[in-house]
Amino acid sequence: MNDGVRILTLARRVFLDRVKSTRMMIMLPILVLFLPGMAWGFSDPDIILPGGHQPDEPMEVLFYASLGVVFGATMCAVLLAFDGVSRDRASGVFELRLAQPMPRTHQAIALVLGMWQAIFIPVAILIFISIAIIRWRLGEWASVGDALMHLLATSLILLWYVVFTLLASSRTKDQGTAIAFGVGMWFLFTFLWALVTTMVAYASGVTIGEQNDMQWIALEGALDLLSPNGVYHHLLETRLIDIDRGVAAWQTWSMALAWTVLPTWWFIRKMDELQP
Amino acid sequence: MLELKGVTFRHLIHAPTRMKPWRKQPGPGVLGVSLMLQPGEILGLVGPNGAGKTTLLRMIAGVLPIEKGSIDLEKNGTLESLDASSLRTIVGHMPEQVRWQGRQTVEDALFELAQMRGTSLKRVKDLLRLVGLSERTDTPLSSLSQGMRQRLTLAAALLGTPKYLLLDEPLNGLDPVAAAAFIRLLKQLTTKGVSIVISSHQVEGLQAITDRIALMHRGQVLACGTLEAIAQNLELTSTIEARGTGEAPDFSWCNPSETSEENGQWTAILHDSQTNLLAEVLSRGIDLTAWIPKPPGIVEMLCAATGMDVEEVGLDIATAAMLPHRRLGGEEE
Repeated sequence: MNDGVRILTLARRVFLDRVKSTRMMIMLPILVLFLPGMAWGFSDPDIILPGGHQPDEPMEVLFYASLGVVFGATMCAVLLAFDGVSRDRASGVFELRLAQPMPRTHQAIALVLGMWQAIFIPVAILIFISIAIIRWRLGEWASVGDALMHLLATSLILLWYVVFTLLASSRTKDQGTAIAFGVGMWFLFTFLWALVTTMVAYASGVTIGEQNDMQWIALEGALDLLSPNGVYHHLLETRLIDIDRGVAAWQTWSMALAWTVLPTWWFIRKMDELQP
Repeated sequence: MLELKGVTFRHLIHAPTRMKPWRKQPGPGVLGVSLMLQPGEILGLVGPNGAGKTTLLRMIAGVLPIEKGSIDLEKNGTLESLDASSLRTIVGHMPEQVRWQGRQTVEDALFELAQMRGTSLKRVKDLLRLVGLSERTDTPLSSLSQGMRQRLTLAAALLGTPKYLLLDEPLNGLDPVAAAAFIRLLKQLTTKGVSIVISSHQVEGLQAITDRIALMHRGQVLACGTLEAIAQNLELTSTIEARGTGEAPDFSWCNPSETSEENGQWTAILHDSQTNLLAEVLSRGIDLTAWIPKPPGIVEMLCAATGMDVEEVGLDIATAAMLPHRRLGGEEE
């Protein structure tokens, strides 16, 4: 068995363990409510959003329905992965794993892949259902490009949250601290980031919350690059023609790359020097 | 043969200062330990809590890094230094008290580790049979008793057909019958050339099964060898338990001894510092019903090696100055 196959085998085990877990069964209805539920709601032909806007294109609906990913799926990713390292570490099984010849780097990659699959595969299935719902409600399929971008961006944001949570799990020996870190980080990027943006805007002398103020839009767009949720929305916005927040596509992709590589590298490095 | 040459690892402990609340500094660990593991022998690692036994085992298992020193393997008459990765392929490690939990079955849990090693399912089944868990292959981990968990951990340690087997407190949680079977299994393994290191604080149980022991205290090996050799080096004499009936005879002519009487029987503990002590006792007309020589125990050896009494060693209440604690490459603290 070569190294790649071994990593995939271990990742599959992690995936099956997590996807069949009780907590996944509990979170699944929440995901159904947040993903196809939002797609259903935003594709209502009679819906009028604040500002009198009415979404009438599949990608636009998918963009609004991505709130379900930001609020629901990322939280599920945190709840699924928070004990990814700490549980086995506390039970002593982790020491047995570390004593195997499989390099720690490979073990870390398998853990990330398995955890990520466990949340992304159910979410991807629900996204396909959402696309079908939108087709049924609006009478129009989302283009392949739009659907792929939505899946890619969703896979990335879930990967980021899984890696952050595993990182927290590897840095703590008790599961309470790991979950507190994960939920705290989710809370920061999901709810408090707007506050951070407002504070920076205030300190910079930018008029706060003025929708047509280009300075405000540019500042918000730039600061969103520092948040995984913000980068996620920037990625989705690359498929929306009407939106321009002063951030070039290359900037968005660079930050997506940074959010992918840096925490993963940090986690692998942490696993390399982790003690039982 | 595996040879440890001055291996050192110190745990980092938090030592916050006002300016650096995250500061860490080297703390306890294993300091310059040198040992040799011969094929087919059982070495007992003995020491009080915090002596560094588990840390040393983790270093040999390739789980903790070796900061200083080396672990060498003899191959065709030459010594080859091993890195952590190489160690993990030839060493089987049984950590202390693994709390297997979850809905995963016994066989699946072991097969997961086997896949990390590239071991087959057939080997997993064989090992489960070897450790007496063949009837429990489909049992969820959460349903296992402590003894069964220990057996499963042993099976995990044996996965790669290791040449060196490290067992950390292996008898914990095993009932006497299981412990006896376990020891028998270890003896069988040694006949196949497997070297075994057993760490335990249950010192009395170890004496019967180990070929040599290494006395550890505060990260250092104080003495290593057969019990007799260590006792001789530490100038410890054997004791003899003498028994008889009636009134206890006068043993004041003998070395310091303890005598007790109960139900018309007396028992005396004599220190065997004289040659022909038995002849001397008999020549004094003392009637004996039993004469039981007792070699020095590991606790006595530990006390003699450290110069502390049993409370000081066991509860670690003596000052650190009594033994050298060295900084890495530095002076004594």
